[in-house]
Amino acid sequence: MAKPVVKKEYTLSERIYLWEILKGMKLTWGHFWFNFKACWRPGPHTIPTCWQYPEDRTREISPIFRGEHMLQRDDKGRETCIACGMCAKICPAQCITIKKAKRKEGEEDKYAAKTYPATFEVDLLRCIFCGFCEDVCPKNAIVLGQEYEFARYTKEECILDKRKLLMNYRKAKEEGKLKPPRKRVPVVPAPPKPEKAGKTEGGESKKGKAAVAGKAKKKPVAKKKAPEKAESTEKAEGGEKKQAAEKEE
Amino acid sequence: MDDWLIAIIKVVGIWVWVLLIAVVMTWVERRGAALIQDRPGPNRAGPWGLFQPLADGIKLFTKEEIIPTKAQKLLYIIGPLLFSVPAFSAYAVVPFGDKIVLGGKEIILQVSDVNIGFLYILAIGSMAVYGVILGGWGSNNKYSILGGLRSTAQMVSYEVPLGLALLGIVFVYGTFSLRDISLAQQGTFLGFLPNWGIFKQPLGFILFIVAAYAEANRVPFDLPEAESEIVSGYHTEYGSMRLGLYLFGEYVNLVTISGIIVALYFGSWHIPYIDLGAYLGPISWGIVSFCIFFLKVSFFLWMFVWVRWTLPRFRYDQVMGLGWRGLIPLALFNIFITALFIQLTV
Amino acid sequence: MNQNPTPQTSHDTGDYVTVNIGPSHPAMHGTLRVVALTDGESLIKVDPEIGYLHRGVEKLGESLTYHQFIPITDRLNYCSAIPNNVAYEMAVEKLMGVEVPEKAQLIRVIMMELARIADHQVCIGILGVDLGAFTPFFYLIIQREEIYEIFEWFNGARLTNTFGRIGGVDADLPDDFEQRWEELKPGVRKANDETEKLLTHNRIWMDRTIGISAFSAEDALNWGFTGPCLRACGVKRDLRIDEPYCMYDKFKFKVPVGKNGDVFDRYIVRMIEMEESLKIIDQAYKLYKEMPADAPLMARVPKVIKPPAGEVYSALESPNGELGFFVKSDGSAKPYRIRIRPPCYMIYQAFPELVEGELIADLVACLSSLNVIAGELDR
Repeated sequence: MAKPVVKKEYTLSERIYLWEILKGMKLTWGHFWFNFKACWRPGPHTIPTCWQYPEDRTREISPIFRGEHMLQRDDKGRETCIACGMCAKICPAQCITIKKAKRKEGEEDKYAAKTYPATFEVDLLRCIFCGFCEDVCPKNAIVLGQEYEFARYTKEECILDKRKLLMNYRKAKEEGKLKPPRKRVPVVPAPPKPEKAGKTEGGESKKGKAAVAGKAKKKPVAKKKAPEKAESTEKAEGGEKKQAAEKEE
Repeated sequence: MDDWLIAIIKVVGIWVWVLLIAVVMTWVERRGAALIQDRPGPNRAGPWGLFQPLADGIKLFTKEEIIPTKAQKLLYIIGPLLFSVPAFSAYAVVPFGDKIVLGGKEIILQVSDVNIGFLYILAIGSMAVYGVILGGWGSNNKYSILGGLRSTAQMVSYEVPLGLALLGIVFVYGTFSLRDISLAQQGTFLGFLPNWGIFKQPLGFILFIVAAYAEANRVPFDLPEAESEIVSGYHTEYGSMRLGLYLFGEYVNLVTISGIIVALYFGSWHIPYIDLGAYLGPISWGIVSFCIFFLKVSFFLWMFVWVRWTLPRFRYDQVMGLGWRGLIPLALFNIFITALFIQLTV
Repeated sequence: MNQNPTPQTSHDTGDYVTVNIGPSHPAMHGTLRVVALTDGESLIKVDPEIGYLHRGVEKLGESLTYHQFIPITDRLNYCSAIPNNVAYEMAVEKLMGVEVPEKAQLIRVIMMELARIADHQVCIGILGVDLGAFTPFFYLIIQREEIYEIFEWFNGARLTNTFGRIGGVDADLPDDFEQRWEELKPGVRKANDETEKLLTHNRIWMDRTIGISAFSAEDALNWGFTGPCLRACGVKRDLRIDEPYCMYDKFKFKVPVGKNGDVFDRYIVRMIEMEESLKIIDQAYKLYKEMPADAPLMARVPKVIKPPAGEVYSALESPNGELGFFVKSDGSAKPYRIRIRPPCYMIYQAFPELVEGELIADLVACLSSLNVIAGELDR
C-alpha cells in the first residue's frame, strides 16, 4: 500500500503552538463568560442552549409532534373512529389491534359512525412513531399527540387501550394541545380521462387522509374485511400471515 | 513541645486545605467545562451543585471493590496509594503565605522550609509514575498497560525539561528554597516590572508550564488516560475508592503544581508595586498573604480547566518529539542565556 | 493482505500483542469491532469485524409493503435519516416510473441538505471528541438541535423522520420555515467558525490529522470510496452534479476537493460542504417560494403500491457518499428483494489499508473521519 507522502507547510503562528492555543482560549473564555452571566438569570431556563428538563418545560413542542397516541372525538363528543382497520393494516410495527363492533340503537350520541371499535389497543412497546396511522386514518380519529414521556413500570401499562387513548385525548383537550387538522397535501391533478374516474377517487382518498372519506372504491374493501374482524381480535399480524400463506400457495 | 504542636497543626491544616481545594476542583472542573460548552453542568446536589463532589465521594466509597481475577493483587492495591501519597506529600515544601506572628512566635506559612525544596519536589514528583505504571501493570489489562507505558515515558521525559527549566530559576535566585525565592520576588525589576520570576525567566516559565501540564497528565498531554483511544488508560480496571484515589491524586497534583508556579514565577504572596506587609499588622499580613497566594493559585487551577476544554490531545510520538526535540533544547538554551546574563551583569 | 484468520490470542503471534478494540469501546461508533495486532503502539495488522448491529433490514423489507419500509430506512444512517428515506423513495419511484412534482423535489432538497449539515456536524464533532477536543462537539451539536427543531416542525419527528412518501412528500414546509431558517443560518456558520478557530490551525490538531491515513485517489476509487472520503482524495465525484436528481442541476454550488485523502482533508471537505449546503438550501428555498402555494406535492400513485415487475438501482449522494437502493419487484405489493448499498460498507473495507502501520491513536482518528455508521454498515 503506497501511501501518498503528505507535506504541509506550517505557518509560523501554527508552528509555535501557543498563538493558536491562545486564540482558542479566548474563544472558550467568551463562551464561559456568556454562560456564567446567564447562570444568574432567574428561572430554571438559565443557559439559553440548555433546558433543565424535568423542571423546565418551556421548550415548545411542535403541535404536529409524533408522540403518544390518542383517539379523537368529534364536536359533539362522539368517538370518530369507525374501526376500518386501516391503521392496523398500514402499521409497519404492527402495534395496533382493533376489534370492530356495530353501533346499537340509542348509542348515536356515543359513536359518530355505524361501526366503532370495541377494543382499540396500541402497543407502545412496538410502536415506532412513524405517523402512518394518522396519515391513513379516513376519519382523523387516531392521532399522535404531543405527549413524549413514555416511561412505564410494567408491560401492561405500555399497552394503550381505548380508555387510555380517549383519556389522552381529554388531557390534550384540557391542556389545549390538540393536534391541528392535517393539511392536505396537494396531489398532481388527474389527467382528464373519463374512464379513470374511479381511480381518481382512490387517489384522492389517499392524499386526503383527513377529510375525504372512503368512496366508491374503498367501501367494498372495508366490507370484505368486516366479517373477519368482527369474529376475532385480529391483529394486522394475523392478516400478514394470511397474506404470506396466500403467497406461498 | 510548642514547635511540635505548630508543626502538626500546619501539616494537618495544609493537608485538609489541599484536600478541600482538590475536592472543590472536581466541581470547578465539571462546572467550568459545562459553562465553556454551553451547558449548566452538575447543578442538582446543593446550591449550584456544590455538594456534587460529596455525592461522588459517597458513591465511590460505598461502591463494591472489585479486583479483577487475573490482576496482580499486591500491585493492583498499592498502585493508587503510590500515586496519591506523593501527590499529597509534595505540597510540604510549597509555601502558602508569608508568615504569621502568634503570641510573639513567628510561624512560617509553609509546612517545612527545606533548603533543597526543588530537589524534594522533583524527587517526590517522579515517585508518582510508579503508581501509574504499577496500577497499569497490575490490572492485567492491555489498555491499562498501554496507558501505564505512555504515562511512564511521558513523565520520565518531561521531568528533564521540568528540571532544566527550574535550573534557570536557581541561577537567577541562587537558592533551592522556595521560601527564599518567594521572598526575593519583592520589589521591582528594571524599575518598572514587578520583580517576579516570569519577567526574569519568560522562556523558562513557558517551558515549565508545558512540562508541568505533561507531568500532571492534563490535556493536551492526557494520553495515559485518553478515553477515546485506550478507554481509561491505567485506571481502566479500577473502581470504587481506588479509582477515587487516582482521580483525586490528579487534582492534588494540580494544586501542588499551581502552588509551585505561583511561588516561582508569579511573585508568591507579593502584589506588584505595593509592599502590603509594611502596612499591615503581623497577623493580618499573614492572612492577607495567604489569600493573595491562594487567589494566584486559583487562577492557575482555572487555567488547567480552561486549557483542558480548549485543546485536542497529542499523539504519543508527538509528545515525545515535543519533549525531546522541542522543550529540552529550548531549556538548555534558556539555561545558557540565563547563565550568560548573570555572568555579564554580576 | 488480510487473508490470515484473526489472531485470537497473543500467544500465537510472537512478540506482538492483540488488542481487541470494540464492540463496546468509546471510540467505536455504534458497535464496531477492530482486532488489532500491535507492536507497542503501532498497528501491525488490523482486522475490522462487522455485523454487531445487523438487524436484517434487507430481509425485513421483503415482508413489508413498499410504504412500510420507509420508517426502517430511518434506522440506517441514524445521523441523517432523510437522505435514506429519499433514496429509497426515489428507487421505488424510478421503478414505478413516477414523476415527482417539482415542489416536492425542492422540499426534498431542502430537507436533505439540512440533514447533510446535521450529519457533518456530528461527524466533525465526534472526530474532535476522539482526538480529545470535546468542546467543538457541543458547539456543533447545539446547532444540530436547531436543525432537528426544523424537522420537528416539519413533520413531527426529530431523529427518525420518516420523511416523504413514495411519489412525493408528506407535508409542506411549515409556515414559519423562513424565519427558522434565517435564524439557523448564522448559528450554523458561527458554530463552524468556532470549530475552525479551535481546531483547524491548531498545531496539535494539524499534527494529529495531516498525513494520517492518507489515501491516493487511485486506491480510493479501487476500493469503492464515495462521498467526502473520496473527494478528500482529490476525485471530483459528486452524484449531485454528475448524475443530478431532485433538480440538483439547477443549483450552483462548489464541490470541495482535497488533495491527500488524509483525516485533515476529510475534515476540511466536510466543513466546506456544510457551507455549500447552506447555499443550496438558500437557492432551493428561493425556487420554492416562486412556486404557487397549492402546487402539487404528491404524484399520482395508487393507494397500494404495486410496481411493475422489474428491478432498479437508484442512488443519491448521502452525507457519507453514494447511498444506493436496489429494489426488485415481482409485481406484488411487497418488494421481492431490497439491497442497500451503504457508503460506509465500501469505505470501511479499506480500513486496514488505511491504518496499518500507524499508531493506535490514528486508528481512532481515521475511523471517526470516515464516519462509519454501524447502523448503515451492518444494516
